[in-house]
Amino acid sequence: MSKAHHTLESRRKLTLFGLLLPPSAFLAVFFLGPLAIMIVYSWLTPGLYGGVEWKFFHLNYGRILGWADTKYERFDPVYFEIFLRSVKLAATTVLLSLILCYPVAFWVSRMPEKRKNLVIFLITLPFFISLIVRLFAWVLILRPTGFFNQALMGLGLIDEPLEIIFTGTAVIIGMVYVFVPFMFLPLYASIEKLDLSLIEASQDLGANRLQTFFRVILPMTLPGIVGGSIIVFIPSLGNFIVPSLLGGAKVVMIGNLIEQQFLSARNWPFGAALGMMVMAAVLVLLLYYIRIVTREERQAGGLKVAEEVAA
Amino acid sequence: MRRKISWRNLFLSVYGWLFLVFIYVPILLITVFSFNSNPVNMMIWQGFTFDWYRTIFGFPTELNELTLYVESTDQLYNAVLNSLTVALITTAVSTVLGTSVALAVARFRFRLKNFYRALMFMPMIMPDIILGIALLIFFVSFGFGLGLHTIIIGHCTFLSSYVFIVVSARISDMDDSLEEASADLGADGWTTFKRVTLPLIAPGVIGGAMLAFIISMDDLVITYFISGVDSTTLPVHIYGMLRRGIKPEINAIATVMLVFSFIIASVGLYMRSRKK
Repeated sequence: MSKAHHTLESRRKLTLFGLLLPPSAFLAVFFLGPLAIMIVYSWLTPGLYGGVEWKFFHLNYGRILGWADTKYERFDPVYFEIFLRSVKLAATTVLLSLILCYPVAFWVSRMPEKRKNLVIFLITLPFFISLIVRLFAWVLILRPTGFFNQALMGLGLIDEPLEIIFTGTAVIIGMVYVFVPFMFLPLYASIEKLDLSLIEASQDLGANRLQTFFRVILPMTLPGIVGGSIIVFIPSLGNFIVPSLLGGAKVVMIGNLIEQQFLSARNWPFGAALGMMVMAAVLVLLLYYIRIVTREERQAGGLKVAEEVAA
Repeated sequence: MRRKISWRNLFLSVYGWLFLVFIYVPILLITVFSFNSNPVNMMIWQGFTFDWYRTIFGFPTELNELTLYVESTDQLYNAVLNSLTVALITTAVSTVLGTSVALAVARFRFRLKNFYRALMFMPMIMPDIILGIALLIFFVSFGFGLGLHTIIIGHCTFLSSYVFIVVSARISDMDDSLEEASADLGADGWTTFKRVTLPLIAPGVIGGAMLAFIISMDDLVITYFISGVDSTTLPVHIYGMLRRGIKPEINAIATVMLVFSFIIASVGLYMRSRKK
C-alpha cells in the first residue's frame, strides 16, 4: 500500500517536472535573460561608434536625472521633460477613455440580455482589428486633405484646412481610439456587479444624485476604474507608434526617444536607461494598484466577518 | 407597470450610440474610400473602382506608374507570408508552454507556485517597448542574428502568458472531482489526462491559441525591434509604408485585413456562444 502510494507520489513529481521544465527553461533564457541584460546595459559605457564597452558607467542615468556634466555626456533637462510629458499624455489618455467608457458601461449594463451581448461584441470587436489599420484610419481623417477638414470645408465652416495632424491633440485622439476597448471591459465588469439596492438605499436615506454617485457608485466601481486605467496607461506610456504617425517630428515622447537611441542614434546603454525609467513608472503604478486591491479585499473581508457575526 | 423615460436614460443611450459611431466611423471610412478612384486625394470621392485591390493582388490596372508604389507586391506578399509563418509557429509553441504552466499551477502543489504566477503575469504588464529593446539587446549580444527565428522566440515569451491566463481561467471554472473519479475508477495519469482533463480544458486551450494567433499577427512594437531587414511582418511593412507616404493602396490592404479580423473574431465568438 505504502509502496503504491510512494510510486504514485514520485510519478506525480515527475509529471510536474515535465510540465514545468520546458516553459521554465524557455522563459528563463528568453524572458528573464533579456530583462537582466537590459538592466546591465543601462549601467555600461556607450562605445564611440555605437556598440558598448563593458565598463561600469553611471552617466546614462546622470544624463537623464541631472548629475552628468562631463565632456561627453551632458545632462540635459529635456530628457526628463519628455518623460514627464509622456506620463502626462498617458494620464490624459486614461482620463479621456474613462470619461468615454463610464457612461457607456452603465448604458450596456442596463440592457436586456440579448442586446447586451450584441453591444459588448460590437465594442470589443476593434480589439481584433489590427492596431496599424485603426491608426491609419485616423491619419486619413486628420490629414490637411483628410476627411475631417474636407467635411468642415464642405460645410463652409472653415476656408483653410486646420492643422490637426502632427499636434498633441492628434496623438491623444489616436491613443484614446486605440486603447479604449481595454478600458471598457474592466469598467463594465465592475459596473455590472453593482448592487442596485445599495443605490436605492442611498437615495431612500436622502442622498441626492451627486452624493449617491460619489459616495456609493464611485467607490464600488473603483477596482474597475483602477484596473482599466492601468491597462490603458501601460501601453500608452512607452508608445512610439501613435506619436510617430499622428504626431510627426513635433511630438516626441519617451517611446520615440528610446526608439531613436536603438535604431538611429545607436546609443544602446542610454536607450536602456530611458527604458528603465518607463519600467520604474509602471512598477510604481502596479504597487499602488496592489495596495488598493488588498485594501479592497480587507474591507470586503471585514464586511463578511461583520455579516457572519451579525448572523 | 410604470414606464419611465428619464432624462438620464435618454442621455445614456444617446451617449452610447455616439460612442459606437466614434468606434465605427473610422473603420467604415477606410472601407468606403478603398473603392475611391481618386489617385491624388483619397478623401474626395471621384468614382467607384477596384483598381487598388487589383494592384495589391497583382492584376493589371490602367493606373500609371506614378500613382503606384515603387515597391513591388512581392514585398507585401513576403510580409504576409512571414506574418503567417510566425503566427502559426508561435501559436503552437506558446499554447503548449502556457497550458503546461497553467496545468502545473492549478493541479499540483509545489513551493514555487506564486513565483510562477508572477512570472506568467510579468510579460503582460510589461510595456511592449521594454520587451522589444530587451530582446534586441539580448539577441544581438549573443549573436543570434535577427530574422524570423528571433521574432518567433520574442512572440512566444509574451504569448505564453496570454495562453496561461486564458487556460487558467478555464481550469478554475472546472470541476476537479471528474478527474478524481477517473483516477478512482482505475485510469492511470495519462489516460485521465487524455480522456478527461484535455477535453474539459479544450475550449480554454483553443481560446488561448486563437488569442495568441491574433496578437502575434498584429504585434508591431516588439516585432519592429527584433525583425531583421529581410524578415518584416505585415504590420511592420504597413508601418514602413505609412511613414514613407499615404497611398490609396494602403486603403485596400487595410480593408482586406479588416475583413480577415472580422472573420476570425466572428468564428471565435461563435465558438464561445456554442460552448455555452
